[in-house]
Formats: sequence, structure tokens, C-alpha cells
Amino acid sequence: MKNPGLLIALAMVSFMGTAKAQDAIKIGVPVGLSGANSVVAPSVVQAAELAVEEINAKGGILGKKVLLEVADDGSGAAGALKAFDSLIFQKKVNVLISMETSAARNAGLAVVSRGKTPFIYTSFYEGRSCNPYLYVNAWVPDQQVAPIVDFFMKKHGAKTFFLVGSDYAFGRGMLEFTRSYITKMGGKVLGEEYLPMDGSDWTSVIAKLKGAKPDAVITSTAGGAPNVTLTKQLRAAGVTIPYGNLAVDEGTAKSMGADADGIYISGSYLTNIDSAKNKEFLAAMNKKFGANLKTPNDLSVPQYEGIYAYKAAVEKAGSTDADKVIKALAEVSVDGPRGNIRMNKQRHAPLTMYLGQVQKDGTVTVIDVFKDVDPGDQCPNLK
Amino acid sequence: MSILLDILTTAAILYVVAAGLMIIFGVMKIINFAHGGFLTVGGYSTLIGTMIGLNVWSVLLMAFGTGFFFGLLIERFVVRPLYSRPLDAILATWGLGIILGQVITIVFGREVQVVPSPISGASELFGVSYSQYRLILVIAALIIAGGLTLLLGKTRLGLETRAVIMNETLARALGINSSLVRLITFSLGAALASLAGALITPLSSVDPNMGVPWLINAFMLVMVSGVSFMSLAIACLVLGGAQVLVSTYANPVLGGMTIAVLAALMLRLRPKGFARE
Repeated sequence: MKNPGLLIALAMVSFMGTAKAQDAIKIGVPVGLSGANSVVAPSVVQAAELAVEEINAKGGILGKKVLLEVADDGSGAAGALKAFDSLIFQKKVNVLISMETSAARNAGLAVVSRGKTPFIYTSFYEGRSCNPYLYVNAWVPDQQVAPIVDFFMKKHGAKTFFLVGSDYAFGRGMLEFTRSYITKMGGKVLGEEYLPMDGSDWTSVIAKLKGAKPDAVITSTAGGAPNVTLTKQLRAAGVTIPYGNLAVDEGTAKSMGADADGIYISGSYLTNIDSAKNKEFLAAMNKKFGANLKTPNDLSVPQYEGIYAYKAAVEKAGSTDADKVIKALAEVSVDGPRGNIRMNKQRHAPLTMYLGQVQKDGTVTVIDVFKDVDPGDQCPNLK
Repeated sequence: MSILLDILTTAAILYVVAAGLMIIFGVMKIINFAHGGFLTVGGYSTLIGTMIGLNVWSVLLMAFGTGFFFGLLIERFVVRPLYSRPLDAILATWGLGIILGQVITIVFGREVQVVPSPISGASELFGVSYSQYRLILVIAALIIAGGLTLLLGKTRLGLETRAVIMNETLARALGINSSLVRLITFSLGAALASLAGALITPLSSVDPNMGVPWLINAFMLVMVSGVSFMSLAIACLVLGGAQVLVSTYANPVLGGMTIAVLAALMLRLRPKGFARE
């Protein structure tokens, strides 16, 4: 042998290369570390970290260690293209599991199709997003709107509604569904007003609302600042009619203090869900993150469950092969803080929904629980 | 009727926000692009002030003082070295604005903070129920306008400032310490921006970028106003009124653009804007 050293070096390199490829399963998490979602992204990353830590402690997936690759999608389309591209083609992740703004998700799906990588979307959204590689374990309007509208109509006798939203896919999609649901149930929509996502001056919108004199108001703004500005200005203008907020999370509602008193919210997760699994989950989160814990919410808990869903699908399929995993994702179920969840309805999942009301002291009182609400016809072409 | 109140209160809010920018522009001939950053500083000092339990007046005073303090530091170390290079000074203030936003993010985090409003709810006025706080802002705008006019017209500092506005070189030749005038003016402009930030928190959220949307509108209003408080008031009423009308009768998305578009048109047709001379 002329050059044993070179041969050994080559052998080592190829051994390392194959060892790396076979040893770990990579989960890509493109999420809005900057931009509109930056407030909520830390909680999503924490949920993902706990799930991965727990899974690795029990031996990983199919005996392989699970690694997390987090990338910043800037909460928008441009950033999503970069993040998805780097995760799929550079980091070569096996799956993408994350929450995103609708703009980011729609842009990212193009890269997902090209890269043929399964994508579990863990954020509630306006519905009807369909892609052969996409699964959704969070709620759509068909599950979230009905509890609030029904409650307003039955308990408050509301017949007329005013809708306010942020001018983008989620705001418009949610309110479009709300309007058709209200009309279907015999109510009337007196007005529907939008402001750009970063708009903070609701003066003219509130003026129109007061002029129309509706029985109730339902809002669907972008998360974060728009919720706060709208609520503050509504309260400053003396608007006290029943107020249903389709897009506020428990944490933001709590921090709004007195202004949030009385707001109705509807979601698939509340921290005070009384189940053994939820208590176990919260204890584990508190233990891992302590004082740095970001309150688990309706956007971060599905992330935790999504990772477990992927684990179950890979174990059922026996491999990380995309087509096998895609098929298995519709068949497996996860027992998580939100209950037993299976994404078997046209890539979406029936969910138990909670109708809550924010109190003066910041707590959320559960008014009603709706078990296993069907997501409706989201992707009829994907059986 | 309520739309008239909307116009009046919107004009008042715009005035309060733009006043600080205007005095800096008038004296130093530079646009302080850190204005948005100072608005944010005011918002966050309100957050701190309410957290430590100060009453409303102390909170406002604290916001004013914080802005003044940072204004002093910044004028001395960032703007003064660039006196002879106004374009570079403008760029420096833009960078400064970014830095202010990022430092606040590092210290406070990106989350939207909520500051409880001192007054909430509506009161009956001329037959309409209207937001009490917005009405109070009209009074605040009048007080600020009155205070600035008195400062400029009836004090020694005001006299020296007017001299520097008219002709800095001549003023210096007459022995006026124009550096001191610039220092005080910049600090006052920053303090006013900070106070404005404090005044708008009950109507908006406190987050590291809260000042940015106001910067464009304030900039446009100052461009069409020259250096007169009166013409700024008129500009706020006319352009602010147009914004309210467009937002209400067309849609709020167009309304957001109204001030910028009208200001640009105005400068094209009448470069002096609303100023008289």
C-alpha cells in the first residue's frame, strides 16, 4: 500500500460522513424570531426544546438522536423563503414543524414542495391551506368562531355584529368565515373594517363602529401590538358591548390588565386545562426553564404535540422517508396537553375548543368546553 | 359631530408629536431621525414610572426629563461634532434611532408592554359620547403650543434662539452662544418627543418600535410648516383632518398615506408650505 495514511484518512472521513447521516433526525423549526411573531417565538422554541429533550431521554426516534434546527423567518414571506431554503437544502432536515404567519407559511410551502419535506404547521390560521406535504394540528375558523358567535347570540341576545381586523390573509380569512357563520345563524353584520398590519390608529374604525351601534364586536387582528392598541382605544372610546377577540392569546390578554376585562377568547389551549397530561407538561416546562419560562399558549403547545406526532409517524412508518411519514401522520395520534389529537380530517385535526372570558385580575374563566370540534372541509382534494 | 372631534383630536396628537421635531429643524436645520426613538424612550419611561407607582404628573415629568437628559448627551457627543456636515448629522440621527430601538429591545425585550391608562371611557360632549383621553390631548397640545410660544417670544433664551434661527453666523457675531442654543434646543426637542411618547401610551402599545410610524408623518408635517408654531398647528389641522376624512369615508389604508401624499403635493405647489414668510 503506497499511502496508508491517506487511505485511513479517507476511511475516517467517509465513516464520519455516513455516521452523521444515520445517527440523528433533524427537525427544522423556521419561526419568527424577529418581526411580528418575535413576541411568541420564544415560547414555541421552548416547547420544541422540551419535546426533543424528553424524546431523546427515552432513546430518540427509532434509536436515533433528535436534533433541533431553529431558523429565523422574520415573520414574513421574504424571511421564510430564506429560512425554509436553508433548513431544507443546507441543513437537510427530515421534517419542518413550526408556527408561522400566514404570509410566511404560504411562501415556505413553495420550498417545501420543491424539497419534498413533510411540514407540520402548528399555528392556528384562516384555513384552507393545502399541500401534499402539509399537516396542521391547530385550529381553523370552523372550530374557533362558532363558540363565540353562538355564545353572543344565545347569552347576550346579540343580533348585529361589527367586525374589525388586520388587513392580511389571517385577518380577512377569519372575518370572512365569521361573517358567513353569523349570517347562517340568522345574525347581521353591520360593518367590517381593516387596518394595515402595522397600523395603530383605529380612530376612524372606532368611529364607524360607534355609528353603527352593533350588539357585539368581533376582532381578528395580527397578534401583539394591534391587539393592544385596538383594545385600549376601544376602551378609551367607551365601547363596552360584548367583545370577542379571535386572535389574542392568554398571555397578551392577561398583560392588558383592566382593559382586557370582559374579552371573550376561544382557543384549543388554556393553561388551566384540568387534565393530568397538561399538569405534567406544565411541571416539566417549569422544571426545565424556571424563571425564564414563557407561558405555554395556543401557539406553543401544538408545537410540542407536533413533534410527538412526527415521532409517532416515523415509528409507524419505520423510516423517515417523506412519503411513508406523510401517510402515517394521518393515522397516528398524540396524547398531549390538549387531549388526544389525530390529524385525520383532510390533513387537519378535530380539536377540543374552550370558550373563556378574561377577568379583571388577568385570569381566564372557562365558560364552555366543546369536545372534538370538526375542522370542516379544509382540503377536499387531499382526501 | 364626532368626526369633527376626531379631526380636532387627531390634529392635537400630531401636533404634540411633531412639535419637538420642528424646533430642532428650525434651529439646527437638521431633521432628527431619532425622533421616533425618543417617542419610544418616552413610552418606556412611562412604563417604568407607572411600575414604581408615580402619579400621572410625575410620570409625564419623568418622561420629559429622561428625554431632555438623553438629548443633552446625544447633542454633545453625536450631533455637535457634525455641525458643519448637516447631511451626515441627519444620517447619524437615523443610526441613533436604530440604536435606541435596539438598546430598548435588549433591556426590555421585544414584547408589547401595556401601560394602564390614567383615564378611560367616554364623556358626553356636544351630544356625542367621545373618548375622554383624546379630548385631554387637545388641552395638552394647547398647553405645549402655548408654552413653546411663550418660551420663544418672551424669554432671553427664546430671543437668542430666534436670532440663531434667522441667521446663525450673524447671531454668533453678536456674541450669542449658538452652541448653547443648539444644545438646549436639541434637548428640548428630544424632551418634547419623549413627552409625546408618554402622552400617546394610553392609546397605543409600548413596544420597541412604537415611534417609527409617527416619524414619517411628523417629518412631513414639519416639512410643510417652516418654523412657525402657528403654521404647524394649521398643517396638523388640515393634513390631519384630511387623514381622518379619507380614513372614515374611503378606507384606513389610504388614510395612512394621506398626510405624506398631501404634504408632497403641497411642497410641489407651494414650497413654503403653510409658513407665512
